[in-house]
Amino acid sequence: MPQVTGKKRKGILGAATLVFIIAGLYWGLVKAPPDAYQGDSQRIMYLHIPSILIAYLSFFLVFVGSCLYLWKREKRDDNLAYGAAEIGVLFTALTIVEGSIWGRPTWGVWWTWDARLTLTAILLLIFIGYLMLRALVEDESRAASSAAILGIIGFLDIPLIHMSVYWWRTLHQPPSILRPDKVPWENIHPELLTALAINFVAFVLLYFYMLSLRLRLGEMHEEIKARRMR
Amino acid sequence: MSMWGYVILAYGIVWGAILLYVVSLKRRYRAAENELQRLSDAKES
Repeated sequence: MPQVTGKKRKGILGAATLVFIIAGLYWGLVKAPPDAYQGDSQRIMYLHIPSILIAYLSFFLVFVGSCLYLWKREKRDDNLAYGAAEIGVLFTALTIVEGSIWGRPTWGVWWTWDARLTLTAILLLIFIGYLMLRALVEDESRAASSAAILGIIGFLDIPLIHMSVYWWRTLHQPPSILRPDKVPWENIHPELLTALAINFVAFVLLYFYMLSLRLRLGEMHEEIKARRMR
Repeated sequence: MSMWGYVILAYGIVWGAILLYVVSLKRRYRAAENELQRLSDAKES
């Protein structure tokens, strides 16, 4: 019975995600007007900002799962960290690709060694290393412990990424959403903010849909291993 | 490339990559479900 309830919940989450993705595409590509300065290329921001916020959320969960695993040594916490790291890598890579495509018409370059861009690329490399460590080290307990340490270190790059635009002179503009002096609706036109908010909700729902699948997958792999050992 | 060309390229890559990941995740999920079922059946028989 709980299995059916879980499947039903996943179905509802999947349907809600699809509705918000369609609404986000409509608002982002049709309803929202082009930006006064950047023109239509600004529409890429409706993907870029939610992607990096989801990557931050994912690596925060890696950090929490890793700390709990090193403390309590429970497989459940390691599963959370591993699953969140996998999805975090996807969204960090997408953030870099979106930023690069937006940068070409706006800055005139696909890539520049700007502090924020470089630190984001380092974040991606750290967590690709995390996934390689999980795949290559055969002793699972050792792999989980080493990955937990790497996950905690990797997460510490996020405050550096966020503060880089304040600490160094960068080509990347300061934050539009997560800024201490202004709330988003004072900073962004309501129509653009609505498109961004809908896309953000779509990404959050999509993230939890993917994470729920990935966590259950990790649990099933544990069950398979346990049954084979018997 | 026009502005819309960059927009379409970005949206295409992002939603294409997400779709590929979800499909691969579902495949792995189904394979694990089938393996669990196979192990249950083997235990029962």
